[in-house]
Formats: sequence, C-alpha cells, structure tokens
Amino acid sequence: METYPITIGKITRHVPVVETLPGVHIPLVEIMGDVELVQAAAEALVKHLPPETDTLLTLETSPIVLAHVMSAISGKPYVVVRRKRRPYMQDPIIQEVESLTLGVTETLWLDSRMAEKLLGQNVALVFDVVSSGGTMMALEKVAKKAGANVVARLAAFHQGNSKLPITFLSEIPILQTA
Amino acid sequence: MVQVGPEVSVALFNMLGDTEVVEAAAAALAQRMPADIDTLVTPEVKAVPLAHALSRLTGKPYVVARKTEKPYMINPVSRTVISITTGKPQLLVLDGTDVPLLKGKKVAIVDDVVSTGSTLKGLSDLITDVGGVVGAVMAVFTEGSPREDVIALGHLPLFKPE
Repeated sequence: METYPITIGKITRHVPVVETLPGVHIPLVEIMGDVELVQAAAEALVKHLPPETDTLLTLETSPIVLAHVMSAISGKPYVVVRRKRRPYMQDPIIQEVESLTLGVTETLWLDSRMAEKLLGQNVALVFDVVSSGGTMMALEKVAKKAGANVVARLAAFHQGNSKLPITFLSEIPILQTA
Repeated sequence: MVQVGPEVSVALFNMLGDTEVVEAAAAALAQRMPADIDTLVTPEVKAVPLAHALSRLTGKPYVVARKTEKPYMINPVSRTVISITTGKPQLLVLDGTDVPLLKGKKVAIVDDVVSTGSTLKGLSDLITDVGGVVGAVMAVFTEGSPREDVIALGHLPLFKPE
C-alpha cells in the first residue's frame, strides 16, 4: 500500500494514500485513535489560541478528540456541532454545508441548549483537516447564528491549494497521477 | 429529563464537551480496567473522548466503531442494531485496517451509558466476528436494570413521566 509521511512536531505517521477521484490521490489522515498525534497537535494548536478565546467549537466526529485534548490543556470548554439531528434536540440551529467537492449536501445541527453556551462568547473553530473550507464556513455560520464571535480558525492539517484564513500545523498535498 | 415512551422517561446524560467529567470518568475507569485488556473499542460519537482519555491513561490503543461505512475503509465489517435513542436500525462498522488490533486480543468495550444493551450486543458480535474476545464492558453509567456484567461508575434508574 502506498503511504505518505505526515508530521506534527516530533510525531510522524506514514498514512495510506487513497484515490478519491480518478487520478486524484490524497494522503488519508485519521487522528481518531492516535493518542500521540492528537496530543502533539493539541499542544501545538493551544499556543495559537487567542487569549480572549472563551470556548472551542468543533463538529463530529474525528476533530472531537482534538478539541477534547485542547480543552483539557487550556481549561476552555468545547461545544460539538452534530452532523445528524438527534431526537433530544429542541429548536436546533440548522446549517447547510456548501460542498465544493462532490456536490453532496450535508447539514449541521446544534441543539439550542448547546447554542446558549455560545451566546456572546469568543470562539475558536477546531478542525483536524480543512480542505475546501466549505465545512469551516458552515461551522462559522453556526457560530454566528448562536451569537458567538469567531476569533480563530485552527486546524491540525490543511489539504490542497485553497487560500483560507486558517492557522494550521502541517500541509498535506493532493497528489495527481501524470 | 426526556420522555422516550408512554410510561418511561430517562435522565439524558451527555458528557460530550464536558472535559472535566470525561477526564474524571476515564481516571476512575482506568483504575478498574482488568490488567489483561489489549484494546479498547467504543461506538461513535459520544463516548469517543472517554475512550481517547482512557487510552491515554492506560497506554492501550482504541478503535472507534463508526455509524456509517466510510469510502476509505478497507474490508469493513458491520452489524445492525436497534438504537435505544432513536428506535431505528443503526449500523456499527469497523474498518478492516483496525482488525489487527482486535484479532486474538482481549478487548474492552467503552461506552457512556449502557441501557438496553443493544449497542453492546452489536459491538460484542462485531468483535467476535473479527476474532477478538470481549474481556470487559466499561461505562460511566448503567441504566434501567442493574447489570453485573458492566464495570460502571454509577447507575441511572428509569423514571415515570410526570
């Protein structure tokens, strides 16, 4: 299996390369299950948290572990936006994701009881991988609908060529077959 | 409190986002984890931070059973269970690349709340399917009828709606 080396701090992982579209190969990053890599990424990203940050905002599933460890280190709470409506949700914030890649529509959900925790707060968005930025923009809209002020956009990895206003630790290429 | 049936309400315990509770629960469960456990398995989503913290504290790797099959999975293995929260069929999927962490290993299932045990049964079957042995079930709470087979830190009763 073809692999590609990704590095955060002193941690390097040789991750599988997968073909997402004909001729387009990407290194596949999965931080969930990798305690060392998440620890290294969280320690590095916490240093980029603006001092005025009140709360971390992330979405399910894999970035949750990153947000959890960043929360444990920084002492700042975190809120998780869901990708499915949960039965207990009351009057949730609903936000469509504009996907630039595959045209698959996706929806983000945040229960009103969680949204209340964001009102008037300075929030930092936390991602494992940001590529097109569509999900990031949708999460930012959720934050604004909840009355929060986005003060930082943090990601462990940035994938692709898009110029996005994010702070990231490591760049992952998109590999094209000649 | 959330009513889930004509005669039943449950206390809704959601520790997602509660770093202090998750870390405290992980520390307490780490002390009670049997010494011969090789790998932790947890269902997506709410118990993932607990499994992550427990893995960090014990040094044992963890595997997440996903609710949907992902395009990048290699030889995925799945089971369908009836979810207690939604009453609908719920898929549990293991990525084939995680099988070496489970085959021939003693596995601990980690969850936030074990209620009817339907998720537990599905996970146990999955682990057995790939050649693992379930050595322990660990949860923050059991719910409904008390269970001797679960290492839990507390118990939640069922309630009658007001």
